[in-house]
Order: sequence, then C-alpha cells, then structure tokens
Amino acid sequence: MVLEATMICIDNSEWMRNGDYSPSRYQAQADAINLICGAKTQSNPENTVGVLTMAGKGVRVLVTPTSDLGKILACMHGLEIGGEMNLTAGIQVAQLALKHRQNKKQKQRIIVFAGSPIKYDKKTLEAIGRKLKKNSVALDVVDFGESDDGKPEKLEALVAAVNNNDNSHIVHVPPSPSALSDVLISTPIFTGDGEGGSGFAAAAAAAAAGGMSGFDFGVDPNMDPELALALRISMEEERARQEAAAKKAAEEAAKQEKVGEQASSSQDAAMTEAVDTSAVVADDKKQNLTDDEAALLEQALAMSMDGAKSTSVDITDADMSDATAEDPELAYALQMSVQETAKDSSSQSEMSKVLEDQSFVSSILNSLPGVDPNDPSLKDFLASLQGQSETQQKQKEDDSEKGGDK
Amino acid sequence: MSCLHDHSCEDHNCSADWSLHTHIDLSKVSALNEAVAGSVKSVFKPWNRRLDTSEGFLESNDGDPELLVFIPFTSDVKIKSISVVGGSGGTSPSKMRAFINRDGIDFSDAQNMQPVQEWDLNENLQGLLEYQTRYSRFQGVGNLTLHFPDNFGGDTTQIYYIGLKGEATQLKRDVVATIVYEITPNPSDHKTRADAGSLAHVE
Repeated sequence: MVLEATMICIDNSEWMRNGDYSPSRYQAQADAINLICGAKTQSNPENTVGVLTMAGKGVRVLVTPTSDLGKILACMHGLEIGGEMNLTAGIQVAQLALKHRQNKKQKQRIIVFAGSPIKYDKKTLEAIGRKLKKNSVALDVVDFGESDDGKPEKLEALVAAVNNNDNSHIVHVPPSPSALSDVLISTPIFTGDGEGGSGFAAAAAAAAAGGMSGFDFGVDPNMDPELALALRISMEEERARQEAAAKKAAEEAAKQEKVGEQASSSQDAAMTEAVDTSAVVADDKKQNLTDDEAALLEQALAMSMDGAKSTSVDITDADMSDATAEDPELAYALQMSVQETAKDSSSQSEMSKVLEDQSFVSSILNSLPGVDPNDPSLKDFLASLQGQSETQQKQKEDDSEKGGDK
Repeated sequence: MSCLHDHSCEDHNCSADWSLHTHIDLSKVSALNEAVAGSVKSVFKPWNRRLDTSEGFLESNDGDPELLVFIPFTSDVKIKSISVVGGSGGTSPSKMRAFINRDGIDFSDAQNMQPVQEWDLNENLQGLLEYQTRYSRFQGVGNLTLHFPDNFGGDTTQIYYIGLKGEATQLKRDVVATIVYEITPNPSDHKTRADAGSLAHVE
C-alpha cells in the first residue's frame, strides 16, 4: 500500500516485432504493462502511473502520471513500432516527469522494459543509476527480448547503482511459451517491495501458480486463521494416513516378492506395484469424489485387491508345487510368506479403516465453512502430497527389491 | 572552553535557546542522498545532546558530498540562527544554502535556484558556532530546506546536529492544497435570481 508515482518506459523499437514471445514481443509487453497499471492503481487508490515510449521518433511521454486507468490503457493503443530504443534519454525524461508529479508525497519509481540491445556502456548506466539513487527514485527493469553480450550485466549494474535498501529490482525473462505477464506476476515488480502483494497481485499469483503464493495452503493465516488451521490439521492427518498406507504397501510388496522368487517374481512385483499405484491413484481420485462415490470406489478397490491377491496366490501356488519338490528352504519360505499374506489381508482391512478415515477427513473438509474440497488449489496440493508419498513408496519398494534379490 | 555567546555557558543554559527542534514535524523530515534512509531524524535533538551520536547521524552516499535536508514545522516559526555540527576529517559541510516554504526541492532545483540565504561554514565539531540569519527573511517559516553542496574534502558529508534558534508562533501557514475545480460545469449549480423566473431553461 505504498504511495507511489510510477513511470513506465515502453520499448517500441524494431526488435519488438519478433515473435519469440507470444504473440509478439510488443504485444507481450503491452499485456504486462496493462497488468502492472492495474496492480499499481489497485494497491493504493492514490497511486499514479504514467507511460512513455523510448523508441520511435524519440522519447515521447504518452500520459503523465495519472490514477485514471482508462486513460493509461487508451494511450497504449495505436503505438507504432520502429526506431531504436534510447535508454538513457528515456530514464531521464521519466525522472523529469516524476519530478513534476502533483502529489509530492508519492515515492518515485521507474519501470523499464528493455527488449532491444543496449548501446550505452556500463559507466554511463552506472552514472545514471547513481543520479536516480541521489534523488531517491527507485528503478525496476524487465530484461527480455534480445540478449546480446553484456546486456544482462549492464542492466544488473544499473539496478545495483540505483538500489537503496532493496527498492529496485531486475527480472530477466527468457523466451518461453508462457506469457510475459505470467512470469512477471510472481516477481517483486508486481508484488511491491516485500509486502506480500495487494489483493490483485496475490489473487493473480494464486491463479497462476496454483495456490502457492508464498503462504501454506494458499490461504493467508492472517486473513483466515481458522481455515489455515483446519487445512494444516487435515494435511497432517492425511500425511499420517499416507505413511501408514505406505508402510503396509511396502510390507505387502516385500512379502509378495519373496513368494515369487523365480521369473514370476518380476510379474508379481509389477502387479504389486500396479496394485499399489492403483491404490494410490484410487486414493487420489477419492479426494475428488463425493462421499457416495467414495464408498462405491472403496468397494471396487477392495474387490480388485482381493482379486489381485487371489491371482497372485494362484501363481504362487503353481510355483510352490513346482519348486517345493526341489527346494525345501524355498518351501519353508513360501509357507511363511503365505502366513504373512494372511496377515496382510487383515492389514488390508486396517487399510480400509484408514480409507474410511480418509472419507472422515474429507467429510471434515466438507463441513468446514468456506472450504471447497473440489477447490483446484486444494486438489493440487493434496495430489502433490500423493505424488510425494508415491515416490516414497516406489523408493521403499526398490529398496525392498534390492534386499529381496540379495 | 570559549563560547561565542557573550556569557559563559556554565551560568546560562544554552539549550533553552535552541528550542525550535520541538516544533519540527519529525515524521515528515526527509533528506536526499542520505546513505541510510531515515537517519536524518537523528540530527534534530536538544542542544545538550548535540554531540551524542548514539542514535546515528546523517551521512551522505559514498563519493557524493551533497546533502539536502527538508524540515517541516508544526507551526510557523521565526528563525534567528542556525548551528550545524559536522564530522571530522573533512566530512563537515563547507557551505549551506537555505530555502523556505518550498515543497519537493531536489538537487537540480537546489542548484539552480537562488537561496534565501547562504553561508560559508567552518568546521564546528563542538557545536559552538552559530550562523545568524537575515531575520526579516525568516519570518513565518512553514518549512525549511537546507542544501549542503560541498564539504572539506572528505569522501562523504557527515552531520551530527542541526540546531535552530528562534521563536515559534502559534499560526500555521495556509497552504492551498490540490483544489479540484469543476471538471464539467453544472448549470443547476449556478442558478441566479434572474433564471428562476425566466422562460429560457438551460439543461
């Protein structure tokens, strides 16, 4: 909510015709500028923003600092691309425009979009930077487009010369399929100097980054402490359940691998893995379903698990009959593992208990005011948890496989 | 210890004279080219603490001895004299230029404008020197801007204390804030007695 007057320097030189940023460098720049103007004017209603172009026939101020967003957006239309960017003149004119701002209480800030090569040397840029720092003007630079030798270093030197207490930033944006504005949303250029962002910026960041805007669970503990607490509790419960499930699955995998020590062992392992992953995937899907569907799925899951169990047991029976005759040790091991698989089926029921727990947890989530279990950010987060536990499981299986092979 | 006042300091409490610091609006004091943002506020304190640097002091950025200090007051004051305590080793300011009642001066303005008064300073490490003002020009001061363009050869300029002597009036200088006149005229706001009964009617 800092009171600021901002001048945005647009690069409308010939280099902006390039299409390496979609749809074109100039268009990507224009979109980013629209977003920045919106963010600035929203974060504090007394903020003013002005725009000038650095290329074309010369440095031209399109609109002096104003808080009227419509005026700013209108002046961005019909700009001609051409000429060469004059960085130093652009910055100096921006400084002059800021000097004559109406409200002297506003802090001064210049945002420069540098897309074309820079023909000035480092010394000149540093001198300009020092002059800005002396007059307490902050500078943000967006380095995109052309990246010839020395351009990033020159711009870094410029920002370092201006920087006073972390008020100036530089962002290097390489060409990528994602839009320039999306990349900028999460940078301090948008979010302001470490305030955590205005509502606009934070909401946009949340939408773009899937809820991880710097806070746990995408919810600000200051804004909604009960929700944050409830989400944290449910995450811990989920984690405990995942660990228990992972442990059971790993044991299961170990037992079933011991049982099928011959060629079929790999089949079993594959099947157990398939069973485990299907269990995990099913759990994953569970999160997204309502309680009714969850119960149905649980049933189907139990049935499929029993089915898999029986087929594996059949295979192992076949193996047992073949191998027992030859290897009494193997027979003993098979016997033991059969007993343990019996135990496993009981653990299976424990697992289903935990699954019910899961539905209990999701019912908790349902009952919490304001929590939508189908919230994409929540889903993503829980899915990532699943993914983590999946990789944990895979690791455990690999370890137990190695142990089994030895 | 000699004092430039015409009495010995042990008898007379000098700090009572340098009382204008209580009328300074400290929250709005600002400086340009200070190395540490906000350090300018430590420079305004009672006279007996003028050599106390425990709360920091005002220093300019490396290699650049210029300083610009903006001092707003809570009520209009009359300034009789100014005292500046600088640092040792050439870091004391050598010149001082004063502007009154002007908002938002920056370095280019300060260098081009004619000051209300300017002084050549001497090194004043004990804070006993004071510089008198042309009193008639310093009546009704709402804010004071001090520009220190140069120092005695040091890399930076350091200022430990700025003292102001004078009187405070209880008046507040009337500043015309941003006034929004009519953006589009509304004739109904401008009815005159003649219009009230006429047949013609302006929409």
